[in-house]
Amino acid sequence: MQVDDGEKRAVAEVTLPALFLAFFWLGCTSFGGGTGGWVYREMVQRRGWIDERAFLAEMALGQSLPGANGIKMSVLAGRRLKGGIGAFTAPFALLLGPFVIILLVGAAYSRIAGYRAVHVVLDGVAAAVVGLSFATGISAIAKGAADPSAIAIAAATVFCVGVLGWPMLPVMLGLAPISIGIAWARGRR
Amino acid sequence: MRGSFAGNLLALIAVFAPLSLLSFGGSNSVIADIAHQSVEVQRWTSQREFADLFALSRAAPGPGSMLCALIGWKVAGLTGAVVATVAFYMPASLLLFVVAKIWSRWQGARWHQAVERGMAPIAAGLFLSGGVAVLRVAPAGLVAWIAAIVAAGLLLYWPKLHPVPLLVASGAIFELVDILGGAP
Repeated sequence: MQVDDGEKRAVAEVTLPALFLAFFWLGCTSFGGGTGGWVYREMVQRRGWIDERAFLAEMALGQSLPGANGIKMSVLAGRRLKGGIGAFTAPFALLLGPFVIILLVGAAYSRIAGYRAVHVVLDGVAAAVVGLSFATGISAIAKGAADPSAIAIAAATVFCVGVLGWPMLPVMLGLAPISIGIAWARGRR
Repeated sequence: MRGSFAGNLLALIAVFAPLSLLSFGGSNSVIADIAHQSVEVQRWTSQREFADLFALSRAAPGPGSMLCALIGWKVAGLTGAVVATVAFYMPASLLLFVVAKIWSRWQGARWHQAVERGMAPIAAGLFLSGGVAVLRVAPAGLVAWIAAIVAAGLLLYWPKLHPVPLLVASGAIFELVDILGGAP
């Protein structure tokens, strides 16, 4: 069963319990923030449940709206796979594990916070998570946007937001019309 | 400071629900507001406690914004944790759901395809930017850049690689470098 409003995109047949388990596990293992990258990698690359380009476009839409990125991605993925019930189940499953874990860890934290090693190891984990963001972005360019104008748009985005540190929303509003205009002019699928 | 139990829950909703709809660009954009509300306005936590809770929410699995669960827990126990979490995630999720539903109704139209194709490279660029932004403030400096680039290479080379072993390895290597005195 696919999304109710007639989407013909390639979406895998996934049962609701399978969806729940996938996101539950994703939540429990997505260390170091960057949950959006985990969701993308799991849905598009590791499990191949969702078509890459369509998901990327929805994601860009999602990024122009408020909300935690990992949660937004899970709402979109859940909706694509199972409609309304999926859009509720995916973020619920994603948050369930971390919710229980963080309260448990919260109770234990004061005892381990003094150790330098705790912070060093966390820095290491965080760096690998950044690697995940890079891998996600590069793979997204390779699969969803591999022509010179799209690469230029991606590079401009990185320069403005990542290097110059400009706020994301105005950058998007500035680049989106140009990028959409180019895609429109090309006019092919 | 202790209000009534119901009063505390309402205060949690009044703080987190509006921030949900203001968190453009992800929940990081409202961490400063959460800190301000939690420490100065509502006096739920001290400055020090807030810093600890923040570090903790980064260390645990799941979205960094699970911070709101910890604050809710401090204010009103388990119920508070649930209420704060729902208040922070629900409004933005509902908004996105409605927008995505309207959006997909136009599936197949030529302009819809142009928007899809046009937005994809921007989404890709935003992923890369998020990584760059984190590395620019990373305490480990050059070591963090190298680790991130190596990790990205491995993840790209093996699309099915599960990331957790990679995270564990990176954490272990950082500790090793620190012990050997190489970390800047």
